[in-house]
Amino acid sequence: MARLIAFRIAQAIPVMFVVAVLTFLLMHLLPGDPATIIAGDMADQAAIAQVRHDLGLDRPVAMQLWLWVANLAQGDFGTSLMLNQPVAEAVLERLPVTGSLAVVAFLITIPTGIVLGVIAAVWRDTWADTAVMLLALIGVSVPNFWIAILSVILFSVTLGWFPSSGYVPLQDDFGRWLASLIQPAVVLALFQIGYLARMTRSAMLDVLDQDYIRTARAKGVSITITVAKHAFRNTLMQVVTVSGYILSLLIGGSVVIEQIFAMPGIGRLLVQAIMARDYPVVQGTMLMLGFAFVFINILIDLIYAYVDPRVRYD
Amino acid sequence: MTDRLASPAEPQPVLSPGATRRRILMRRLWRHRSFRIGGGIVLAIALLALAAPLLTSTEPTQMNLRARFAPPSAEYLFGADNFGRDIFTRVLYGARISLWIGCASALLAAAGGAMVGMVSAWFRPLDGVIMRIMDALLAFPAILLAIGINAALGPQVTSVIIALAFAYIPRMARIVRAAALVVRELDYVDAARVSGAGGARIIFRHILPNCMAPLLVSVTFVFAYAILAEAALSFLGIGPPPPDPSWGNIIAEGRDYSVQAWWIMLFPGLAISFSALGINLLGDGLRDVLDPRLKVEA
Amino acid sequence: MLQLYSRKMLGALLLATALTSASVAPAMAQSETPKTGGTITYANNSGPGQLDPQMAASLVELEVLAHVYEGLVSMDETYSAKPMLAESYDISDDGRTFTFHLRKGVKFHNGDEMTSADVKATYERYAEVSPGKGALADVKEYRTPDAYTFVIELNNLNAVFIDKLKTPVYPIYIMPASQRNAPPRGTEVIGTGPFKLGEWVKDSHLIIEKNPDYSARTDMGGPSGYVGKKEVFVDAVRYNFLPEANARVAAMQTGEADITTALPLDLAKRLEGVEGVTPVTVFPYCQQYLILHSSQAPTDNRLIRQAIRTATDVDDLIIASGEAAKKNFSMVYPNGEYFIGEANAGWYDAGDPEKAKALLKEAGYKGEELLLQTNTNYDYMRDSLIVLGEQLKAAGMKVKLDITDWTTNASNMQSGKGGWNVSTTSFCSNPILGPQQWETMIYNFPHIQNNKPLDDAYAKFYSSLKLEDRVAAWKDIEAEVLDGAYMIKVSDRGSNRALSNDLKGFRPYNINLFWGMWLDR
Repeated sequence: MARLIAFRIAQAIPVMFVVAVLTFLLMHLLPGDPATIIAGDMADQAAIAQVRHDLGLDRPVAMQLWLWVANLAQGDFGTSLMLNQPVAEAVLERLPVTGSLAVVAFLITIPTGIVLGVIAAVWRDTWADTAVMLLALIGVSVPNFWIAILSVILFSVTLGWFPSSGYVPLQDDFGRWLASLIQPAVVLALFQIGYLARMTRSAMLDVLDQDYIRTARAKGVSITITVAKHAFRNTLMQVVTVSGYILSLLIGGSVVIEQIFAMPGIGRLLVQAIMARDYPVVQGTMLMLGFAFVFINILIDLIYAYVDPRVRYD
Repeated sequence: MTDRLASPAEPQPVLSPGATRRRILMRRLWRHRSFRIGGGIVLAIALLALAAPLLTSTEPTQMNLRARFAPPSAEYLFGADNFGRDIFTRVLYGARISLWIGCASALLAAAGGAMVGMVSAWFRPLDGVIMRIMDALLAFPAILLAIGINAALGPQVTSVIIALAFAYIPRMARIVRAAALVVRELDYVDAARVSGAGGARIIFRHILPNCMAPLLVSVTFVFAYAILAEAALSFLGIGPPPPDPSWGNIIAEGRDYSVQAWWIMLFPGLAISFSALGINLLGDGLRDVLDPRLKVEA
Repeated sequence: MLQLYSRKMLGALLLATALTSASVAPAMAQSETPKTGGTITYANNSGPGQLDPQMAASLVELEVLAHVYEGLVSMDETYSAKPMLAESYDISDDGRTFTFHLRKGVKFHNGDEMTSADVKATYERYAEVSPGKGALADVKEYRTPDAYTFVIELNNLNAVFIDKLKTPVYPIYIMPASQRNAPPRGTEVIGTGPFKLGEWVKDSHLIIEKNPDYSARTDMGGPSGYVGKKEVFVDAVRYNFLPEANARVAAMQTGEADITTALPLDLAKRLEGVEGVTPVTVFPYCQQYLILHSSQAPTDNRLIRQAIRTATDVDDLIIASGEAAKKNFSMVYPNGEYFIGEANAGWYDAGDPEKAKALLKEAGYKGEELLLQTNTNYDYMRDSLIVLGEQLKAAGMKVKLDITDWTTNASNMQSGKGGWNVSTTSFCSNPILGPQQWETMIYNFPHIQNNKPLDDAYAKFYSSLKLEDRVAAWKDIEAEVLDGAYMIKVSDRGSNRALSNDLKGFRPYNINLFWGMWLDR
């Protein structure tokens, strides 16, 4: 197992490297000069040139790339141009925010999606099925930032149930942490809930349609036990399979949600860095995110192997 | 290693695509409720987009500052925005850009994915490398890839299309590869190979047609995602540039007025939701009929 | 959205008369006795990237810095230079030697007393690293005869030298001598100000805490702009960074914030009926201009630039921009000492497409495309250029809109690259500070080359000892810029803010300053 993990990580490194270099080149293709923004509009060309020099941006691109890679090899992700802070520090500071948001949304998604899917499958072709599937369909069809804005107007401004924006760190106050996360997490989870409910339903139906289940039913075993014993296990397997994908969707979706709810997370960091041409931050964040996703996928593989003993990794 | 993760269901190859079979499929599709409703919605929206000039007498960029924030009325069906532009007209014309972006990026992703998937399935030595890269890209949320690529290409409609297409290529490639690997081992493909048919010929004559079903289903779902993604990119300020309307940028421009001029962001939001809903329903129908074992969309 | 990093640079001071408010500003009553304690929550649009004052140009950075640091001289509420850390200063008769008598007993936040060595180190570092170092270009030497005296000697006479030292952008705030060799943007945040930097989580929030050891000036009755008697009543001020204007308004509505800023006018109106909240518009703040690239065809043709100016209808631009704006033809404010008056008013807000067509014909315009470049980050810029595009089309010009992001737009404006002909931006501090601070912008943004009338007028400006001669020179400068349509004046933009009614002691000013404010709860 340890060898497998090591192998998977080793395998990911060259790919991540390619991603990093591509990101670097893409970023440097962008028009727009970060030194101009840093220097400000009262700076003349000489002052801008000095800022560019201070930041090392006057070096040839190939040399900048080389320096970046050489520093990376020593574990140094560089320093943000705009935030004036080491990239690794900037990302790690924001990790708890995006992490909390994604995890809470994940914890909302999984049970809700499964329950809805199971309901739809068990009461297949009834009004319950139709209603649940319509809800799920709406979930995957409505833009989440649109719902987010409407939700703030309703739940924060009109009803005053939740704070309209901001993030309270977990270590400060658990209650306020949760309160600051509930609204964005629910909005963020809507799409994934819809997705998971739809998937769960068809996974359940797959099993429910199989002969042995029909036999069990014919023998008079009640539907709840059937569901619990046979179909559910199969469904869980499927859920584990897609949970990595769901988590990755959640992190992607958090980019927009962090913007609306003013949460200082990785998505907001990345978007701002792209806008401001903060090259080291964009490169470093993409690279670290890549590794995070690789890690998540390995974790999912391991869970999968645990849940389904038939799977053996060679 | 197992391939299980990436391809939860190996699609069933369609063996002999013939006229009869096609007719049967069409009939089954037509009987499918989701397909009918979804198809109806999509067709209606597409027709509205095409007929935009007939349905409204103004231009989508026509301003009338005196009608700034005019609420919905007989004259301004969906109200007016901060320039006094008619939201109804903008939503109609916005459909053209939004649907075009969704459709074009889904097709482009399919074409790119098909190519990568085929190459990977056919030229086995490359398979490992290509699929590892696809895995890595797949690990990134599509929206992040799209943000990066789109930022590099600059704000234009074509960059949005290219960015979204690139973002969805890995998913498509996996699906095509899985289908192609199955087809590849079939007897008649073997026969063709033995009889001296070239790789390209086999790919295009035998393998590609047999991957069409899963590909078509994925194209539909990616179409729906892409419409949502266009809106998200617009919201972040890197979508199709104003003043030409897309559903996403109408919402993005109207979001500061969400309370006192709710109509600016309400109607394009509904338009997006309805279209995505229709396309998803269409996809459900296609999947149930063409490729019933494909559970994980795209 | 992203107003981070780059909110247009700093700005204007407030004329007491220019305050317009939906209702009587609740916080103006000075008769009440201030309560002490509590934390003011300030919903700001973005946060500082760094806090090295010598490198600071963005409003959000300058706003925090103004609480933590102080300069030898700074602006009071009528924009004039007043001593702050200097008790007083003398200027020699030849106008080349400036002697600053430092206040005694002023302590840095690290407990050390400020002396002339710190001042000298600050000035020396500034001359090396700051983008604003041009202000010190004439300096011959610095002298520190004793711990409380600092002398600057210039190579040549410079009548506006003190005015350059008061600059609110790249401020020359006094730092401990230990920061002398700190790299650009790498200083420790140690000032002499009435607040100290507390917790700072980038992109999230920043807290400034009351400095208990602060010794306020006593020679002025109360606070005045950046100077005067700074009394802190609250324990701390918490800046929350909320990039979405909607989120800032929501925070005011729900009581999560006591004060906010950078609201679009239409959004500020949403707060008018809200109980306990008062929206306020502060003038003057910034001036918006259309910038015409005079080294890029076809706007290198003076007649074509004039045709664009003639076609521009300012009223519509203002309405579309969604800003609280006042019409003003001038590049300075009506009560400023360089205000020219009606003589320079003839180049504003023509809105005459027919006359523009005639000018185009005279220019030999053959339908060459004009590239209007702006960005998605600043709605008012985008929206006013979208309207301008329609106006130019109506006057028979071929127009292409290029809406990019702020970084590209700003770099292109300053470098002249990108093929643009028309763009728009705002200048905030320059209209207050005067012609010497306008010079870089006037030459740099429209990319003016070989303009003899302008060069001559500026030469006359710097060589004139008497204010009236400098005003006469400025009249020619302003006339050339506006008549030649290098820049087209749009409006004086106000700053839309909102305050909670239990926040007292608010003084409308270009930036929000929290000394003298208190919470009535």
